Amino acid sequence: MRKGEIHATGVWKRFRADRHRLLLRDHLERLRRQLRGRADGRGWRWALRDINLDASPGESVALVGSNGSGKTTMLRLLARVMYPYAGSVEVAGRVGALIEVRAGIHPDLTGGENVYLYGSLLGLRRQEVARRFDDIVSFAELEGAIDRQVKFYSSGMQMRLGFAIAAFMEPDVLLVDEVLAVGDASFQQKCLDRMRWVLGQGTTVVFVSHDLQAVESICQRALWLREGLVESDGPVREVLGAYRRTIEQAAELSAPVLGFLRVVKCEVRGADGGPPRTQEPLEVRLVIESPEQRLANVHLGVSEGPATPIFVFGHETLLPAGEAELRCTVPHLPLPRGRYYLWLVVFEHSGDLLPWHPVSQFNVLGPDLDPTPLGVVRLSPIELSPTWEVEERS
Amino acid sequence: MTAERSVPTAPPPELLFRYRLNVVAAVRELWHARALVRTLAERDFRVRYKQTVLGVAWAVLTPLALMAVFTIFFQRVAKVDTGGAPYVLFAYLGLLPWTFFSTSVSQGGQTLVINSQLLNKVYCPREVFPLSSMVVGGIDTSIAVVFLGVLFVVTAYPPKPTTFWVPVMVVVNIAFTFGVTLVISAVLVFFRDLRHVLPIILQLGLFATPVAYGMEVVPENLQVLYCAANPLASVIDGYRRTVLLGLPPDWHLFLPGAVMALAWLVFGYILFKRLEPGFADYA
Repeated sequence: MRKGEIHATGVWKRFRADRHRLLLRDHLERLRRQLRGRADGRGWRWALRDINLDASPGESVALVGSNGSGKTTMLRLLARVMYPYAGSVEVAGRVGALIEVRAGIHPDLTGGENVYLYGSLLGLRRQEVARRFDDIVSFAELEGAIDRQVKFYSSGMQMRLGFAIAAFMEPDVLLVDEVLAVGDASFQQKCLDRMRWVLGQGTTVVFVSHDLQAVESICQRALWLREGLVESDGPVREVLGAYRRTIEQAAELSAPVLGFLRVVKCEVRGADGGPPRTQEPLEVRLVIESPEQRLANVHLGVSEGPATPIFVFGHETLLPAGEAELRCTVPHLPLPRGRYYLWLVVFEHSGDLLPWHPVSQFNVLGPDLDPTPLGVVRLSPIELSPTWEVEERS
Repeated sequence: MTAERSVPTAPPPELLFRYRLNVVAAVRELWHARALVRTLAERDFRVRYKQTVLGVAWAVLTPLALMAVFTIFFQRVAKVDTGGAPYVLFAYLGLLPWTFFSTSVSQGGQTLVINSQLLNKVYCPREVFPLSSMVVGGIDTSIAVVFLGVLFVVTAYPPKPTTFWVPVMVVVNIAFTFGVTLVISAVLVFFRDLRHVLPIILQLGLFATPVAYGMEVVPENLQVLYCAANPLASVIDGYRRTVLLGLPPDWHLFLPGAVMALAWLVFGYILFKRLEPGFADYA
């Protein structure tokens, strides 16, 4: 195997459902249950079932999925911290892992001592760590605090140190768990840049994150885990598209929308009445019921992810009392093939009449775009030039 | 895309992960991790004395305090046959290996649980944790040995030339200590009750080991059995005979102890390695 290769085949992992109960009486209780002949499998919970993951040097793979779906357990297996119950995990070369915020960080030692501790955990000699020391400190922006004990660091500082150590020890495989969320925006950007750089150096990256934009800008492939099973595995756009769909469906079900106005009907269609197509007209028909006449701002947005619209467009209009139909047409729809969400907000100068919420989902037909180079997520700016019509309905 | 798939509820038995113990490879891996042992020991050592007023002096004060207690009680109350050496030296020489053993076992025994944070996030051969605890115990003991020199001067009782045998005893001492530490640390991960039992066992061990008294307390015909059951007894007896009395080690007592110490080391290492796959799951 070349350094940086990952081969995980048919990996199973289980935990005791009550694995933190290890006192004598807990052992006795389990023994008694076994002697009475009750099923042994009862006390176990599968964390991973039949997972396959292969990666070659310089490749970047994302693990996505909701909390408790087994992402961190998979990283721990790859880091050789845990052993699988069945199957095999082979990882060649030095593994730098940032699992949870305080990876390898000891609170009673100073930042500098931690750098050496973690370096030797990765199998580096003292001189090798010393050579990278200044880079690590300046990347983590901890020049003034490196001689302070880590327990007096803020969680952001701990994360910065942890990431800098893991990323600067020149690992062959870099495992990054959902940790970037702790850092501020500019540091997150720095981390993503660094990850792209180590990818360019031939390091294999396995990245776990709930920030799907970040995942898309780093990874070529994604593995979606759901309750310990692989739900889908493939190019990052396809997997994330499918993943977004399910999380948004779940979110929609759980959020009733309350406002001054009521959406009676919402329809998204193309020129011929069917689904819209790329670069062709898109028509939105919206029927809104209002208890009284209002001068209001109506904004529509289109998104792929939960809260980050691709574009937003608005119009000020007079809403009559009763039901009114709004028709909005975008002559050239600047969206590639895929599934999208239509968002709506209606507000006046004193506040929201209807909060920002998804009103509809729609498919866009069209040719596949050329694959964008790594790190490019959105094409902008976007020319929309929508037209609006309002019609009172009695 | 997400067509219903039939997922088995358990993996096929032929795929079950089996842990194969390759002692040569494991020892080589441990050798490569020596820088890590050093760093961990340094860390433990610093952390231990970082927020204490007396700092490293504690390494000497612990055996010294026990020595004072023994001197007052045993020398006055029960006359101990030291073979002519001052009782202060006799007791201190027994306390050094004992303190090394008990700090290594009590610190090293809990090291996997204490370091679960590290254990859960980075890979390394796990025996570096108990090993580094033992190294710290060794540093403490070395500091305490310096004080032994002071005692020789104060009592005007210089060490005998047969002291050159000491390294042999040190090897056995370390082998036994490491073996027991490995067993305790591995088992403690799965049976947390041991944490509370451990101080009691060590307390009893202090009296089951000839620290305050000499070998003569044990009936002649049971001495071999005693040394086999408690290799520390043979080690301490060896230190005293060579350093204080000018005699070679009592081989028919020392060898059973040495063999058993080695057996503890081998058993401890194999047990530790066999339990290793479960550490991260439970620690």
